[in-house]
Amino acid sequence: MTTAPVQPALTQPIPAGAVSRALAWLPAALEWLGAFFARHWQNVLTALVQIWANKARAILTTLGIIIGVTSTITVVSFVQGFGNYVTDMLRGFGTNMMFVFPWDASDEHHLMLGRVVMNVGDVRACGTRSDKVRRISPLVFNVANIEYGREKLQAVELQGATEQFQPIRKYFVEKGRFFGPMEVEHGAYVCVIGRDIMGLLGADDQIVDDYIYINSLRFKVLGILEEKGEMMGENQDQLVVIPYTTAIKMSPMSQYFLPFIIEATSEADIEECSLEVTRILRERHGLQPGQPNDFRILRQDEFLRDFEKVKIAATASLAGIVGISLIVGGIGVMNIMLVSVTERTREIGLRKSVGARRRDILFQFLTEAVVLASVGGAIGVALGYGICNIASMHPSMVRVDVPIWAVMLGLSFSAGVGILFGIIPAFKAAILHPIDALRYE
Amino acid sequence: MRRTRKRQASRREQRRTATFLQRRTFWHDGQSAMQDTREKLIEFRDLQKIYRVGTELVHALRGVSLTIHQNEYVAIMGPSGSGKSTLMNILGCLDIPTSGSYLLNGTEVSHLSQSALARIRGRQIGFVFQNFELLPRTTALKNVQLPLMYAMLPRRRQRALAALERVGLADRAKHRPNQLSGGQKQRVAIARALAQEPDIILADEPTGNLDSATGNEIMSIFDELYASGQTIIIVTHEPDIAQRCHRIVTLRDGMIASDILSERGRAEAAPEGRPEFAPAVGAGA
Ligand SMILES: Nc1ncnc2c1ncn2[C@@H]1O[C@H](COP(=O)(O)OP(=O)(O)OP(=O)(O)O)[C@@H](O)[C@H]1O
Ligand SMILES: [Mg+2]
Repeated sequence: MTTAPVQPALTQPIPAGAVSRALAWLPAALEWLGAFFARHWQNVLTALVQIWANKARAILTTLGIIIGVTSTITVVSFVQGFGNYVTDMLRGFGTNMMFVFPWDASDEHHLMLGRVVMNVGDVRACGTRSDKVRRISPLVFNVANIEYGREKLQAVELQGATEQFQPIRKYFVEKGRFFGPMEVEHGAYVCVIGRDIMGLLGADDQIVDDYIYINSLRFKVLGILEEKGEMMGENQDQLVVIPYTTAIKMSPMSQYFLPFIIEATSEADIEECSLEVTRILRERHGLQPGQPNDFRILRQDEFLRDFEKVKIAATASLAGIVGISLIVGGIGVMNIMLVSVTERTREIGLRKSVGARRRDILFQFLTEAVVLASVGGAIGVALGYGICNIASMHPSMVRVDVPIWAVMLGLSFSAGVGILFGIIPAFKAAILHPIDALRYE
Repeated sequence: MRRTRKRQASRREQRRTATFLQRRTFWHDGQSAMQDTREKLIEFRDLQKIYRVGTELVHALRGVSLTIHQNEYVAIMGPSGSGKSTLMNILGCLDIPTSGSYLLNGTEVSHLSQSALARIRGRQIGFVFQNFELLPRTTALKNVQLPLMYAMLPRRRQRALAALERVGLADRAKHRPNQLSGGQKQRVAIARALAQEPDIILADEPTGNLDSATGNEIMSIFDELYASGQTIIIVTHEPDIAQRCHRIVTLRDGMIASDILSERGRAEAAPEGRPEFAPAVGAGA
């Protein structure tokens, strides 16, 4: 019998009633908690009833806050919306991109005449000697006149690149094909055109395999690029891409100032990649330690970071300016609360005479102010939301989403304004002398 | 905290019933020379209240000494401006005296903090005003619940309904003040004063705004409350009303002019009369 001695040992230390005695305080505590919440809930209810009784006045009072929150939400959302649009664009190019171009920090460009600053050798060296480079392509920028049949286009953007252009720029041919390495090697007179160029030339998809004249040279159209749309007011589809070798033939000077674009193996490697490229170029250009670089590297991620900073600064300053109207709204709330305290002086006296403490009165009036301001804030958020959604429906408008933090900020800010501007009237009510308050006329 | 409060409340309850019994036996066993054994509820010693209006000082109370025991039924009379309301406000802890001592249940009130005073106002004292002072746009029931809410008492609805029942207004619980007659309003106010089961009920001219018939109804309620052991102090101008109480304190110029038993008080008291009720204090002044 092993269980026999265990049983009394288990039951003995807990005599009947011990548990109930140990928990005897529980009902009292619960009752106290209940009463505590009931008391403050009652203060809240009193405040709500008071607001409801003066609905029209409450709305007028909170108009300032409504307008303040509405404009803050709208402005913040618009800035964010545009910002996100641009950021997405930049991300679309890839954040592991670098653009390398000759640049003299000492502002002595004129001395560089005739000097080789960056050439195909540099590009090749970077491409072969750095294992962080996944793709690389020189980029020759030029403008040209284009003719097709009777149509003539002036000053069209012309870019010379390698066959890597497509994956690097994430800009693909939709119709036809892109030029290949052989055509780049030979400097073939072939081109790929943007959608809008095709439109401007009065042509359709049939233009593929047809010929156009660029600066009076005959080029075969190999393909049409997909539509990219506008970015920051610039049409990206008005573009003609040709092999860079051909571009150099068209403007020989550009071979000595050849910028190029690099796609690093990954976003994490971009730092190291840019260091390697710097080392290779400095070595090739024979720069001594201490001498400044004669080129510059622009990194997409840096650009993105800079833009992000600008976006935050713009959001903060605009929100700050509009937020000032919230202060004005808060003063409106304070004004009406002061009136309310004066009007209800006798009521305050009575409440005190039946046992309300100072903090009860304080809480009641503070709640009233905070509820007023918060309701204003909530209406403001709803209006801002509506405005943003309606604006987003316009076809040429970017997508404007109200950020959740802006909603939170709007609500908490208006509640804060309620506390800030409600505390003085509430305090005024709380410290009233019961008899003076009861005698008030 | 909660428990001590509860203990205090139950002690108050015991004391009240005990003194009630004591009083009955005392009056009927004929031992008149014996000291009154009932507990002192209120003790004023040389109470002064001075108001400052601009540079002038108004002496509203100039040295009032007064003792009130459990389950007394006191009327305070006196000409207008004699300091009755001032005295009541100090009694009700709505105001504090300029000098002198006020012991309520043995506690010196003058030194208490604001929140302790609020607690006393909410739990130990029920105040009835001349002009009712009900919250407008608020039902009778909610008005009666108000002190219960601030006192954080449980079962507020039942207590409030019971209090309304005692003043005969159970059927008007959902009415708002503007739907009630003057007498009904005052009864709601009395129910509000009753609801938290206070030690004393103070009424400053409770019938002042009512006609005499309604006034009598109100007084019957006070009579009943007194009969059930409640301590009541009423300020009044009307001698009829004062005669329904047992003790009449008359103020003049901020001092007690007389402090006597009423006819009813004398009738109910021991045949030999009660020494502490003798018209002694300031009778000659
Ligand atoms: N807040 C105050 N400030 C200045 N003086 C006051 C104040 N309250 C009362 N008094 C003065 O104190 C004196 C007593 O006033 P109190 O209100 O106690 O009189 P009362 O006996 O209640 O009179 P009534 O029968 O008219 O109600 C009066 O002279 C009055 O002017
Ligand atoms: Mg008076």
